[in-house]
Amino acid sequence: MTGLILILITALFFPGIILRTKSIASGRKGPGISQPLKDILVLLRKGSVFSNTTGIIFRIAPAITLSSIICAALVIPFANQKALISFEGDFIFFAYLLALGKFFMIIGALDTGSSFEGMGANREAFFSMLIEPAFFILLATFAMFTGYTSFSDIFRHFFVTGDDYVLIYSIIGCYLLIQIAMIENSRVPVDDPKTHLELTMIHEVMILDNSGFDKAMIHIGSYLKFAIYGSLVFNALVPAGWSIWLHAGLFILVQVLFAVIIGLLESFRARNKMNKNPKFILTVSAIATIAFVVILIMTSKLT
Amino acid sequence: MVNYLIVLFAITLIYFASAERLIIYIRLIALQGLLLCGIAIFELTEITTANLLFIAAETLLIKTLLVPYLLSGITKRSGVVKVHRQAMPGFYLLIFSIAGLLTSVILAGSMPNPFINTIFLAVALFTLFTGLLMIVTHKLIISHIIGFLIVENAVFLFSLAVGNEMPMLINIGILLDIFVGVLIIGFFGLRLKPHTNELTILKD
Repeated sequence: MTGLILILITALFFPGIILRTKSIASGRKGPGISQPLKDILVLLRKGSVFSNTTGIIFRIAPAITLSSIICAALVIPFANQKALISFEGDFIFFAYLLALGKFFMIIGALDTGSSFEGMGANREAFFSMLIEPAFFILLATFAMFTGYTSFSDIFRHFFVTGDDYVLIYSIIGCYLLIQIAMIENSRVPVDDPKTHLELTMIHEVMILDNSGFDKAMIHIGSYLKFAIYGSLVFNALVPAGWSIWLHAGLFILVQVLFAVIIGLLESFRARNKMNKNPKFILTVSAIATIAFVVILIMTSKLT
Repeated sequence: MVNYLIVLFAITLIYFASAERLIIYIRLIALQGLLLCGIAIFELTEITTANLLFIAAETLLIKTLLVPYLLSGITKRSGVVKVHRQAMPGFYLLIFSIAGLLTSVILAGSMPNPFINTIFLAVALFTLFTGLLMIVTHKLIISHIIGFLIVENAVFLFSLAVGNEMPMLINIGILLDIFVGVLIIGFFGLRLKPHTNELTILKD
């Protein structure tokens, strides 16, 4: 439960920290850390407007997306505590919960009948399909390394396997999780949330028709997803055996650092050309494959 | 430490498949030279100090400095910046590269040998595969040279794996290095057609 509360708290300030980092890096005064939160509150007070061409799918898609992301957060463990939902193979459940949310966003976008949204949905589906192997290979690597298939057990036993090279696995894991988080959340270099031209958008163009309360739910889902990936990074970095208070402090520190890294990456990195994205995403999967192979060999599980 | 360096070496190979600029290729070749030097120093603990110093100096001077310097000289003269004449888009190259990595691991796993570390064998086979892939999928002569250099790094890496038992094999690998240096200067460096802005045609 502590983990879930911490995820919810950090998700509130995550986008604000990214924005603040970007504004400091570009020498602007910029908005405050709580600005995205205020925007969400404004959106929550508004009603939603629906086009005549949209059907029930478009109306339920944001709610299903948000609920699937919240359910995914229940699978993430914290310190030595088990996650609220924990069973063998729960990382597959986690990945497909997020995929379910994305699926509904995609069919919701197609439901509008807009060619722009169809284009965005097409891109989002393609890029999600390409990044999925990276996530599964990474989690399969962790599962192979520890011998467990649930998040709670994997992270509890990650640093107690007695392997000398656990640091290298941890670093590769964090790198891959950060890249996966950037791609899954449609951030630079794959997508730019600040772009104003529909033709170059991926995620933003899918939600053009969403407004008010629905849009707020989509944004909250996006912030939660960041915090969820941040907590996975935290679990891959910090041994589970330490005290709960130290864990709580380190959790917030890792999440803040994660947000600052994303802000800095977005400040100093150019966005990819659209046709370069598949190659970039596949490179992440290739690095995950290397991690898998390295751990396979180093833990003598090949023969 | 050797394992960390080998992992970095394998990552540079994946980077080869996704890079698009010649300067990146040249930097990666230099980086591979540096990594091989590190691997040699940490791995070859049973050979004589003089031999080890010679190997370290050779990898640093030839692989990390001389060959990349010559390659960058060729690219500067020709003005070619991008590897734009690939026969195959980078996306498919990456897929082949991943397939090559997995094949190498399966091959290395199916050939257990008590004298050779499996990770050395797997990464050496993967390096060989990447070099050959670069030679067959690129049209620029300079890409072929780089492919050949990668193949040669594979030989060197493999010779390092058995270097403690057979130090002479590393010296043969070094001879191959010097041969490649001469090949680049003599055959490609001096005979590429100037001012054609292409790196596909040689002088008659």
